[in-house]
Amino acid sequence: MQPFIQFESVSKSFGSLAVIDSLDLTIHKGEFLSLLGPSGSGKTTILMMLAGFERPTRGTITLDGMRIDQLPPHRREMGVVFQNYALFPHMTVAENVAFPLEMKRLPRHEIARKVERALDMVRLGHLKNRRPSQLSGGQQQRVALTRALVFEPRVILMDEPLGALDKQLREHMQLEIRELHKRLGLTIVFVTHDQSEALTMSDRIAVFNAGKVEQIDSPHAIYDTPRTRFVAQFIGETNLIEADVVNVQNGHATIVLGADLAAKVRSGPELQAGQKALFSLRPERMRLGADPAGDNALDMTITDCIYHGDHMRVQLAKGNFTFTARCERLAGNWTVGTPVVVSFDPRDCTVLAP
Amino acid sequence: MFRTAQILFGVSVVIFLLMPIVAILPLAFTSSVFLTYPIEDYSLRWFVELATADAWRLSIMNSLIIGLGATLLSTILGTLASLGMRSKALPFANLLRTMFLLPMVVPAVVLGVGMQMLFVNLGLASTYPGVIVAHAVLCVPFVIVSVSASLQGIDPSVEKAASSLGASPVMVFRRVTFPLALPGVISGAVFAFATSLDEVVITLFVAGPNQRTLARQMFSSIRENISPTVVAAALLLIIGTLCLGGLAALLRWRQERSALKAVP
Amino acid sequence: MSRAPARERMGALLLIVPLLAFLAVFFLWPLWTMVRASVVDDTVSRVLPRTAAAIVSWDGQGLPPTQVQQALVEDLRQADDQQALGETVRRLNSAVSGFRTLLTRTTNAVRDGTDAVAVDLGDLDRRWKEPRFWLALRDAVPPYTDRNLLAAVDMKRDAGGAIVSEDPGASANRLIMFRTFLVAAIVTLASAAIGLPYAMLAAAVTGWKRTALLLAVLVPLWTSLLVRTTAWFVLLQNEGLINRALQAMGLIDSPLPLIFNRVGVVIAMTHVLLPFMVLPIYSVLLSVPRNLMQAAASMGAGPLRAFWRVLLPLSLPGLLSGSLLVFMVAIGYYITPALVGGANDQMISSVIAFYAMGTANWGLAGALGVILLLVTMILYFIYGRLSKSPQLLGA
Repeated sequence: MQPFIQFESVSKSFGSLAVIDSLDLTIHKGEFLSLLGPSGSGKTTILMMLAGFERPTRGTITLDGMRIDQLPPHRREMGVVFQNYALFPHMTVAENVAFPLEMKRLPRHEIARKVERALDMVRLGHLKNRRPSQLSGGQQQRVALTRALVFEPRVILMDEPLGALDKQLREHMQLEIRELHKRLGLTIVFVTHDQSEALTMSDRIAVFNAGKVEQIDSPHAIYDTPRTRFVAQFIGETNLIEADVVNVQNGHATIVLGADLAAKVRSGPELQAGQKALFSLRPERMRLGADPAGDNALDMTITDCIYHGDHMRVQLAKGNFTFTARCERLAGNWTVGTPVVVSFDPRDCTVLAP
Repeated sequence: MFRTAQILFGVSVVIFLLMPIVAILPLAFTSSVFLTYPIEDYSLRWFVELATADAWRLSIMNSLIIGLGATLLSTILGTLASLGMRSKALPFANLLRTMFLLPMVVPAVVLGVGMQMLFVNLGLASTYPGVIVAHAVLCVPFVIVSVSASLQGIDPSVEKAASSLGASPVMVFRRVTFPLALPGVISGAVFAFATSLDEVVITLFVAGPNQRTLARQMFSSIRENISPTVVAAALLLIIGTLCLGGLAALLRWRQERSALKAVP
Repeated sequence: MSRAPARERMGALLLIVPLLAFLAVFFLWPLWTMVRASVVDDTVSRVLPRTAAAIVSWDGQGLPPTQVQQALVEDLRQADDQQALGETVRRLNSAVSGFRTLLTRTTNAVRDGTDAVAVDLGDLDRRWKEPRFWLALRDAVPPYTDRNLLAAVDMKRDAGGAIVSEDPGASANRLIMFRTFLVAAIVTLASAAIGLPYAMLAAAVTGWKRTALLLAVLVPLWTSLLVRTTAWFVLLQNEGLINRALQAMGLIDSPLPLIFNRVGVVIAMTHVLLPFMVLPIYSVLLSVPRNLMQAAASMGAGPLRAFWRVLLPLSLPGLLSGSLLVFMVAIGYYITPALVGGANDQMISSVIAFYAMGTANWGLAGALGVILLLVTMILYFIYGRLSKSPQLLGA
């Protein structure tokens, strides 16, 4: 695929504070890329540099092969949806949506037609003469989205656009944006700190930490094969295991978890016998009870059992080694103190970069 | 280009705003009788004049007496009324508030003419009580604004907590409400004093020669024959108001800081 | 209604009553006294109460009926307040000259006569047979008059009672009112022209720059008005810093006339009132989210267009309330024009002060005061409507 937007060794610092450190990032045409990370990880700064509100301290940004990092924001043709929507309070909904078209100096009747069509598309046609303050949060959100889309910008940038909505509305809008993305073939860069939002909406996710990309991958890969400790912990829940590698062969490694528990895991070329390594194992990938065909069966004891409605969370221990497992229902009458066999597939245990 | 214009504009307005105040102050120390630059020789003779000439000494004393009287009167009345206006049960609250702020709006000359006519009939013209109540009328809005603001800043749940912990309404007021409102009361008093200190117009109408205040004395000296004594007096006033303003700002800052601390 | 709110209301009222009473006596009553002084004219009717009551029935044709004449005789006989009587004589004499001697003579005559004897005024003095003296008396007895209010706008009633303009040159009140509004408008415009970009600049920058810009506005506001006026007085003189500096730079040969004229008044008043313009605009701009301008830019609006379409419309409410505030304060200004202005720059306040203190013409001072008060109150009402909280700057 052709790179559409490209960051090349971009750094940004505010005074002595380095926010982005030598970033390389490629965004493809038509993809939905989420920038995910905790606050202060630099994801919003990247968006602001893309939109032109911040200039990189070093490095270049290109769009379709053209350098844009020195271009003022109003020449970049990027639709931005702001965190608090940034609707103009002194204009009606229709005037807000017409604004970017007027800036393009389109003829009056064409503006009217486009505004009409855009508002109908998001089912806001009947509200076009209202002021933003007379709309609900969800409606304001849709106006902001329409305003960013209506002038057919080359890229849509969204800065935590759903953060202010309640849970139900947020999930509804996630679907709506995803649907728009597919239907119109938009290139969307979406900043969020909400992992489930990123997982449901994106083609790819770039996980940020302290100004650096930790991993950039499909949602599936990010979740199932996290590459760093940060990614494993930030996305979903995980058991982090520091273990000794005993031997490596045929893409599998035998490791000792501690307390004499040995397990077989999938291995990459990076593991060598005799070394210590860090592994991630998701709680929901573990089964209580022996798996006859499985490779791993660990004898442990249940130390706690927490009810969560749709699932149970079970704390397991052997010696000073502990695990958390997540299971649908408890089979049998296992209670605290019951010894139990824990099994998992070697492919579900991922090696993390040290 | 645009940035340069911005900087140039900002700097020249700041100069326009501050230059007059800064530029005249050195003239208080001139030894000449003319208020002109360059200053050939520095001396304190005009401060000596301020302290020794009867007219100036009397006017400084008068300003202090009248200022303290008006501050005391307006602070007590204004604080009581602000406390009363907190109650939601009060009818016509908006009307009352507007009325309390009105002395700030009515042109001073208009009020002065009315006060002069009335005070002659009441026997208050050219008396200290007359000047003090006249100044207090002008000070009231500042007290109201300042005290109301600090009362508004009190989280009602703090008072509820106090009464749930067994404090009677009087105790809630003494131990919680009043201590929290105190910075506002003090800064209101500071504004009141500064207002009285600076007041000329009403004083022209209601004060006699014996109640001439510093501001009134400055006014007539500028009109009749300006001398560096006026600038020396102005320096005193600036230092006075800046000290008072600093005190008010400090109190406000302390209150804000304690308010911030209260929020987890 | 339950008892607790009723008690609470009582408590609140008790707290408010002292201030309410104080302001009623020392704020509202003075204003009322002034309003009354402008329309009440009871010198004559107090001294001649019976005449005042009787003369109403006279139609103004020929001579008044005898009971009016008898009432006047009785009033003059009873009048014991010499000062009030003297005032009445002066009033009547200014309407028709010769009234002084006529009344003095009549008074002496009726007091010499005994109560029982009915005095015929026509016999006493021929002049009582002339209707113009009686007409003047009739015009002088009503306790309320619009004379002062009319005089305040350079109008009067002619002999027939119709309202006409005062002879040109006789009075300059209209000119002064026009001048007051003109100076206030110039000062408002100047403040807006400086204050709007300044407030925008202050809202756009951050950190120490913003602090410095705001302090530059607040320090003059905290500084005594008198000090600021003194400062301009010193700076604007012919030998003042500004003229000296311009001369030293070789820009001018002889000093520019900056003081005791309109230029000086406008400069000094703009300086004094600029904070009242900057602060409302600034506080409005602070409530404008920063990213509105970014949003405009992202949709293709260049800085100028974004300013015109977004920032300017959003700062209009602040500009409007700032302008109202400046204009309202400016029309009532006294000290600055009095000290920095010349004879042709005196505004309405100076004229009020002149009538009140210089000539003790309370009626006219009151009438001009009523006009100024009315205009100010209307502006304040509009200001209160525009800005949600009707307080000035929150001190």
